[in-house]
Amino acid sequence: MKLARLTAAAGLLAVLLFAPGLRADTLDRAGLVQELCGDAGAMGRAGTALVATAASGSAEDRAFAAPLARAVIDRKLGCDDAGAVLDEGGLDAITRMPRAAAGTPRSPLLSLKNRPVFELADAAFALRGAPAVAQRAAALKTLERRPAQIPEGLLDTAAAAESDAGLKEQIDTLAQTAALNASDPAARIRAIGRVAENPSRRALTRIAALESDPAYAANPEFRAAVDAATARIERGIALGDTLATLYNGLSFASILFMAAIGLAIIFGLMGVINLAQGELIMIGAYVTWLVQQGLRVAAPALLDWYLVLAIPVAFLATAAIGIALEALLLRHLYKRPLMSLLATWAVSLFLVNIVRVVFGTQNMQFETPFYVSGGVPVIGDFIFTWNRMFAIAFAIVTLALTWGVVRKTPLGLNIRAVTQNRDMAACIGIPTRRIDMMAFGFGSGLAGLAGLALSPIYSVNPQMGQNFIIDSFMVVVLGGVGTIAGTVLAALGIGQINVLIEPLWGAVAAKVIVLLMIIAFLQWRPEGLFAVKGRRK
Amino acid sequence: MMRLGRNGPIVLLTGLILLVAVAMPALSGTSLEVSRYLANAIGQLAAFAVLAISLDLIWGYLGILSLGHGLFFAIGGYVFAMYLLKHSFVVTGTVPDFLQFMGWKDFPFYWAGFDFFPYAFTVAVLVTLLVSGIFGYVSFRSRVGGVYFAIITQALVYVAMLLMFRNDTGFGGNNGMTGFSVLFGWQMGTSGMITALAAGSLAVLALVLMLCRWLVGSRFGALMLATRDDEIRLQTLGYETLRLKLIVWCLSAVIAMVAGMLYVPQVGIINPRVLSPELSLEIAVWVAIGGRGHLVGAVIGALLVNAVKFWLSSAAPDIWPFILSGLIVLVVLVFPNGLMDLAKFRLTRPMGPKRMAEEIGEARP
Amino acid sequence: MSLTALLVDGLTVRFGSFRAIDDLSLAIDYGEVRAVIGPNGAGKTTLLDVISGITRPKQGRVLFDGALDLTQTSEAAIARAGLRRKFQKPSVFEGLTVRQHIAIGADFGFRSRLDTPALDDRICEVLETVGLTEHVTRLAGELSHGQKQWLEIGMVIASDPSVLMLDEPVAGLTDEETERTAKLVRALVRHDRAIIVVEHDMDFVERIADRVTVLHEGRTLFEGSMDKVRADAAVVDVYLGR
Ligand SMILES: Nc1ncnc2c1ncn2[C@@H]1O[C@H](COP(=O)(O)OP(=O)(O)O)[C@@H](O)[C@H]1O
Ligand SMILES: [Mg+2]
Repeated sequence: MKLARLTAAAGLLAVLLFAPGLRADTLDRAGLVQELCGDAGAMGRAGTALVATAASGSAEDRAFAAPLARAVIDRKLGCDDAGAVLDEGGLDAITRMPRAAAGTPRSPLLSLKNRPVFELADAAFALRGAPAVAQRAAALKTLERRPAQIPEGLLDTAAAAESDAGLKEQIDTLAQTAALNASDPAARIRAIGRVAENPSRRALTRIAALESDPAYAANPEFRAAVDAATARIERGIALGDTLATLYNGLSFASILFMAAIGLAIIFGLMGVINLAQGELIMIGAYVTWLVQQGLRVAAPALLDWYLVLAIPVAFLATAAIGIALEALLLRHLYKRPLMSLLATWAVSLFLVNIVRVVFGTQNMQFETPFYVSGGVPVIGDFIFTWNRMFAIAFAIVTLALTWGVVRKTPLGLNIRAVTQNRDMAACIGIPTRRIDMMAFGFGSGLAGLAGLALSPIYSVNPQMGQNFIIDSFMVVVLGGVGTIAGTVLAALGIGQINVLIEPLWGAVAAKVIVLLMIIAFLQWRPEGLFAVKGRRK
Repeated sequence: MMRLGRNGPIVLLTGLILLVAVAMPALSGTSLEVSRYLANAIGQLAAFAVLAISLDLIWGYLGILSLGHGLFFAIGGYVFAMYLLKHSFVVTGTVPDFLQFMGWKDFPFYWAGFDFFPYAFTVAVLVTLLVSGIFGYVSFRSRVGGVYFAIITQALVYVAMLLMFRNDTGFGGNNGMTGFSVLFGWQMGTSGMITALAAGSLAVLALVLMLCRWLVGSRFGALMLATRDDEIRLQTLGYETLRLKLIVWCLSAVIAMVAGMLYVPQVGIINPRVLSPELSLEIAVWVAIGGRGHLVGAVIGALLVNAVKFWLSSAAPDIWPFILSGLIVLVVLVFPNGLMDLAKFRLTRPMGPKRMAEEIGEARP
Repeated sequence: MSLTALLVDGLTVRFGSFRAIDDLSLAIDYGEVRAVIGPNGAGKTTLLDVISGITRPKQGRVLFDGALDLTQTSEAAIARAGLRRKFQKPSVFEGLTVRQHIAIGADFGFRSRLDTPALDDRICEVLETVGLTEHVTRLAGELSHGQKQWLEIGMVIASDPSVLMLDEPVAGLTDEETERTAKLVRALVRHDRAIIVVEHDMDFVERIADRVTVLHEGRTLFEGSMDKVRADAAVVDVYLGR
């Protein structure tokens, strides 16, 4: 294993050292033309030289040699006493000066053995030099038929120069295949090592195919390299899958957390579950959309930043709704939590329908700014996508914000005091009703932020709130009343469990199992993860 | 031993219900005949009223709010739909849509015997008791109550809805079950059948009403109210409130199941939307509007709200959600005891003056 | 039947890291009225909570009649064994009538085991004792604070309990009502019954108690007759002296 790597490194070093040397050799142009006009053996040598030029010749040499290969294939090279002419007498083959053919030129015929060499050379030139993507793609197709013959280095340089991303990837793939099928066992082993460096399911199929290669049985070193690569790729894939699951779970947990944290604060404070929380999320997403539309009209240059610019707007808009809700409705339902439940449901019904009437039921269209599109492939099939990362980062910021407000501000101090003992807090002069209102506004604002963070990932429509509300209930029930740590842990747990179960038995089963687990958990800790047992009488 | 309170309203209501139940078939063929549409609507309303009673029993009298009663309603509905499809298949040979849709040749094995109604009914009761019993036991045992219980029941019905939306469960999936043609050997959809179903539903409503009235008026009913008012106080007097709650909870679930059975043949379809959290929440709204803790209130609430809904859903379907949310806010803020406040008469016992403003049995777990 | 009705043995109750009861041991005999006094937060109510099964201790046990460990028994089973308690905060069923309360208290089980005449007699007797005869058909929610206190006492004595716990039975009552309550408590004394009274009113305690236990920060500070309590320097210091 180690040895193989060493050899590979040494080989690589050698190539690096000698390649410039090779390239420095200028092509013997006259000699080449002469050989092209020679017998089959000479033509064979000329073909090999053409291939080498295509792989590692200088730009001028390649420009010089490319038409020759084409001309021989098309039988457009005319050999005469003075050397040869191209285009049936248009240009001198060596100087490329206009000149007429001397006498009747003879166009050399490619033997069955030499033809593929010339075709290879032609394709190699085309791959590196053809102006149109389609031409280069066609050349690649030709090369793909003979991976073993492709000269080393050709594909790497071609890939480096390739501007079309799709074609570039195809060239890279072919380069690997070519190297894997090279005739030199050492080169093959090096190639195996290189394939294993980027483990993925495709790499695994490639390497696995080598197990039926004759060399696998014959050459123990080769065999060891294949086995090592297989093991390495499998480890990489497993790691990638684990990371992908964790990542998806984390992003789902972030969403859950954002949907639930406002709910948890309000529940802890007033014992009210706000059934309209999902609709506040929805409103947050719609506000984000409105900000986007506004920017489109007022400041198109800033359009890409709408997600950031919408943060204060979404927060304030939903906070205002929350404050109004508390002041007009919930305030009067103090100590009647079940009635509050119905009242907040009425609000949710109202909000869904008002949005439906105003905006319609279709999904809203959102721009995808550059910072939430694409991703970075990490290992195996795990891609670190930016839109999920956005949700995670957003959740972390929300968490920090919430923690800061609850722990470090006078409002937070009052919220904690009222949560722990409302009567006592009232006795020492805390305006509990105002705290309720502010906290309700804060919790609602957090829901609005959740809606914003969701908009690049989920479809935004009047019904969207309902997809989150039940999951966020579960987070609150599991986490315990009004604790930030409990909410975080519960969201992480539920998020991960959902994502873990989903591939095994499907999304519905995941929900069923999560619910059953929560009910079972409540048998053991009825107050949730974080709650001090209170006096029951 | 109990002061029975004024029995007048409930006797009056039961009498009225029975009168309509008798009058509808009696008037058929005369010039006063009830139209098919009206008869069908009355029948459906009766099923909803039974559903409302089932919720009032545990919410009004035991202080436990379930936001998942649609689950038990759906069990009754689905089982009855299974009976109807299997029965129709046996009688007429019609293959249900969902079997064709799934490309299945035969009914799944658990459909065996469903063409025999007593068996289907027994299964419905057992499944209801099993689900409500297990869920109630684990919840009450760990003293889950109040808002916690409400939202966990809602999660339960939601998860059940997701489950039934799957097409491979053998219960019709997304599209549900429909195309019922025969009931107890009679052709469905005829005027006679519609009237008979409505009258039957009314009769069941009257029966359930009387049964619950008897229950809440008994010593057991007093214990229910005591549990609602102060569960720990009652426990420390030697009563197993867990068992009491479980009994009432399961009874309530069975009544809701029966309501589902009445409902399905009259609407002619069942699909997972009966399991949507909205329906379950709406039941609570009927009861709240009618007046919690009053059986008559629950019935009137269900009848009124649904009558308005029927009427509006053809006249102006878009307005209904707004009206409903307005109604809820009105009831919650202004009439904590629903229509009972409005009518200013107490049908059972008034809740204590303090309790009028403050719900009972809602202490957090 | 042993002589000791309740034996509290090495009891510790914790709320978080706070010890509401700290390695407490005490014995209460049949036939006595035991007053448990102490400053607010001393753990008196918590002690009754443990005895009635509402709070589970961290350590220790409570033996009833020398056999039944109450820390392992459910609330309802404790009550059925003959231990009844009146709560500090009046706890009655607001939606039920006075009569229904006594009927519920006199018996347990979903169907009454007493036949109607026997039950009626019992109800009359109890209502007579607590002086609520003329309110028999009223709802508990409509009663005054003092009447609620008595109603609850009536409800807990209706079953003839062997251990009776009264948590602050005269808090918020007028002098005359306090006087009546004191008489009532003395009238309830029987050789096969232990009565535990938690109270702050020293005169009341002096009138009713055979022995007094002074709790302080979850521990016994003193135990003995009321005279000795008044004379004890430590007790005066933490409690009476203030
Ligand atoms: N459920 C609880 N959680 C936390 N602390 C409690 C709880 N119940 C009682 N306490 C504390 O235990 C101490 C003893 O309370 P209690 O037994 O009610 O005292 P008292 O002697 O006044 O009846 C008090 O400091 C009280 O705050
Ligand atoms: Mg106390």
